[in-house]
Amino acid sequence: MFRSLCVIGVLLAAGCRGDSRTPLVIYSPHGRDLLTLFERRFEAVRPDVDVRWLDMGSQEVYDRVRSERANPQADVWFGGPSLIFASAARDSLLDCGAAPTWMDAIAPRGRGAGRCYLAAYETPAVLLYPEEALSAAEAPQDWDDLLDPRWRGQVIIRDPLASGTMRAVWGLIISRGLAATGDTGAGFAWLRRLDGQTKEYVQNPALVSEKIARQEALVTVWDLPDVLISRRRGMRIGYVFPRSGTVAIEDGIGVVRGTKRLAAARAFVEFVGGTEMQLAAARDVFRLPARLDLPADSLPDWVRDVRRRMVVADVDWSLIAERGPDWMRWWDQHVRGTGR
Amino acid sequence: MSRRAAELTALALTLLLAWIVLYPILIVATDAADASALRAFVSRPGEWAALWASIWISLASVALAAAIGIPLAFLFEWFEFPGRKTLGSLVALPVVLPPLVGVIAFLFLYGESGFIARAVQALLGLERAPWRLQGPGAILLVHAYSMYVYFYLFTRAGLARLDVSMLEAAQALGAGRRATLRRVVLPLVRPALVGAAILTFMTALGSFSAPYIFGGGFRVMTTQIVATKLNGDLPLAMVETLALALVAIVGLVLLRRTEGDAILVALGKGTAPRPRPIRRRGIRLAAAAAGWGLAVVLLLPHLTLGLVSLVPYGAWTTEIIPPVLNFENYRRLFSEAERLRPLLNSVWMAAVSTAAAVILALLAGWLIVRRRVAVRRAIEGLLALPWALPGTVFAIALATTFSVNAPARLRLVLVGTAVILPLAYLVRALPLAGRGLLAAYRQMDPALEEAAASLGAGRWRTVTRVTLPQLKPGLAAGASLAFVAALGDIVASIVLYTYETRPIAIEILSSLRLSETGVAAAFGVVLMVVSALVLGVGARR
Repeated sequence: MFRSLCVIGVLLAAGCRGDSRTPLVIYSPHGRDLLTLFERRFEAVRPDVDVRWLDMGSQEVYDRVRSERANPQADVWFGGPSLIFASAARDSLLDCGAAPTWMDAIAPRGRGAGRCYLAAYETPAVLLYPEEALSAAEAPQDWDDLLDPRWRGQVIIRDPLASGTMRAVWGLIISRGLAATGDTGAGFAWLRRLDGQTKEYVQNPALVSEKIARQEALVTVWDLPDVLISRRRGMRIGYVFPRSGTVAIEDGIGVVRGTKRLAAARAFVEFVGGTEMQLAAARDVFRLPARLDLPADSLPDWVRDVRRRMVVADVDWSLIAERGPDWMRWWDQHVRGTGR
Repeated sequence: MSRRAAELTALALTLLLAWIVLYPILIVATDAADASALRAFVSRPGEWAALWASIWISLASVALAAAIGIPLAFLFEWFEFPGRKTLGSLVALPVVLPPLVGVIAFLFLYGESGFIARAVQALLGLERAPWRLQGPGAILLVHAYSMYVYFYLFTRAGLARLDVSMLEAAQALGAGRRATLRRVVLPLVRPALVGAAILTFMTALGSFSAPYIFGGGFRVMTTQIVATKLNGDLPLAMVETLALALVAIVGLVLLRRTEGDAILVALGKGTAPRPRPIRRRGIRLAAAAAGWGLAVVLLLPHLTLGLVSLVPYGAWTTEIIPPVLNFENYRRLFSEAERLRPLLNSVWMAAVSTAAAVILALLAGWLIVRRRVAVRRAIEGLLALPWALPGTVFAIALATTFSVNAPARLRLVLVGTAVILPLAYLVRALPLAGRGLLAAYRQMDPALEEAAASLGAGRWRTVTRVTLPQLKPGLAAGASLAFVAALGDIVASIVLYTYETRPIAIEILSSLRLSETGVAAAFGVVLMVVSALVLGVGARR
């Protein structure tokens, strides 16, 4: 017993040992690859800062920041659809003081009202298929192709309640119907037909590409950077940009209100949008830069290729931000599981 | 200790427990519940369906777990057959499978593109997978598999406390085997059985990973709460939490009724009956064969996890058996210092919280069973309550309560400190340590302590030489379960962890999020080995 107490004591001591650098805590859904890249590079230019990141879903970041409001633990919120950032800004969870110098290089739709957050990357949604089972020509080419009888029972969908990407896609479908007919009914009818095609709603994002690679289903919708990273790691999955236009999520960054390390947090935001790191993120971890002023010849080939092929749908984001939660609730209660 | 001092201690304990268990929930309830959310809850059929699903899934889980766990406990405690000792520990192994990773292991094993399904498909030449692992059936499968261990361990601990002389007396008085079982054995192990039933019911009610992964459109209350919360409707989520808490309390009261408060003691020197060798050779061999077969089935998820941990990223697609196996995942796990840190964090936090829970449970057991204090039902209720609340929401309740600095209202800022996560583990360890210990206390003959005292042993000597050794089986079972639960906890951790205290489960979740299933499985294997070692120590007696 005494010995085990000693062991615990040593572990505690080890746990409490810190260094003298300023810790900078980052909440982010961007994943280990991107975050270690930024940790290494930022600590190289700022040796006095110890970058500590925690990886979690963007909706979870929102939840955590909200519940830690009285005693903020995070300094920077790095990543997540601007829809969620907008809600957080409305809840006064973001520091809206200073804007980084690269603000003007961002398209107006990527700038949060009142300088609370900015888009750092664009994250498009794509249609995903297993390369070993389908050729690029056989795969569905547009959103409406998903409703083709060929794909009945062959579609898996990442659970849209938990995913910022899927919420944006759902928003696209419903607002598209709303614009055409003046009523949300058209969009929900479309989603009900998709529900009839859907084999399964997948809770864990990691299982989405896994299930496609293992051919448990033949089609899904997922975001491009994850697909490209999975491909680099050897997963046999292919992707298609929807012909009629996809959603390109404005992947934001912001400083958490009430942080005790405001200067370091702002320096980090400045660093993320700097030319050097925008290019590094594009080259190393497949992030599509949000900045429009980067020299075209220094961008990697895939970025130019994507920008050439990708059609971005015209989406009223403020409408989706406002009505989205109601739509999602309606979908969850009245559409999910009713298409069959 | 005088009657008055005991009552005062009991009151202090009740207040302490109420502060860490009940108060946070009340804070959240008053903060968030409002009329419109209540109306929304009552008027939506989906909410009632989820509530009903939670109830029947939990009851079915108790029935299934009892049906598997109790016979196994009798088999291993009463009969001697080849491999009894080894098998007896192997049978407890499902408990070392960490919740989320365990569910993923089931997916790789029984899921439609898992080993078993692929093998059956290949064997029968089917075009599609023979089944899909989804819905209530899949949830119950996982629950039965992971929860029968409660019945198994508690029943074995109860049986080990039986006195052989009572059985002999029953037989000498002419009772047949059945009558002895019904009139002597069952009443004596009843506290242990009820303890296991309550634990199973509460665990199933608060279970999150299995319904989350397998539920699909089938909602239970825990997944419903998360869906509501993710949609930003916090007041409704809190109403749902309160509804679930109410079900838990009703369940607790009903189950508790079946236990009785009588002190049932085994008089005499208290030696448990020796395991009987099975005489007939054929039956003995059949028992051994069935035992080993069962062990293989029970071990399959662990083996799957081990296998998946050897698969490098993205190498396994449509083959039945993964084509490439190596130790790459383990190399990454141990070569990166920051990946080892969470393991150390988890170990110290689980150790501290379990130790604290055991101390509180010992005190509570003594006050409830020995001193029969006035507030004993309140203490017992508070000890059992945390298990009924879904971890996520309980964690949020703690986070809400302890993120405000108002000492006058007993609220301190603990969020973001290293205290909050061990506190959450402690709260969730209370039912595990508490039930095991209370059951053991109820079976202990007070005359033993009185005898020690009358023979001149001081209070300390009586506790260390008589009471604790008597309580050890129940104590060890409860404490090791609590430690393992804290070690693998994911739902409370995810809300309350900070960078400094991030536990191993968060690291696993992170790896899963990054599609690094192999690394997650490797973490799972490490967690499993540590848990097995702890439980192995806990089961030694």
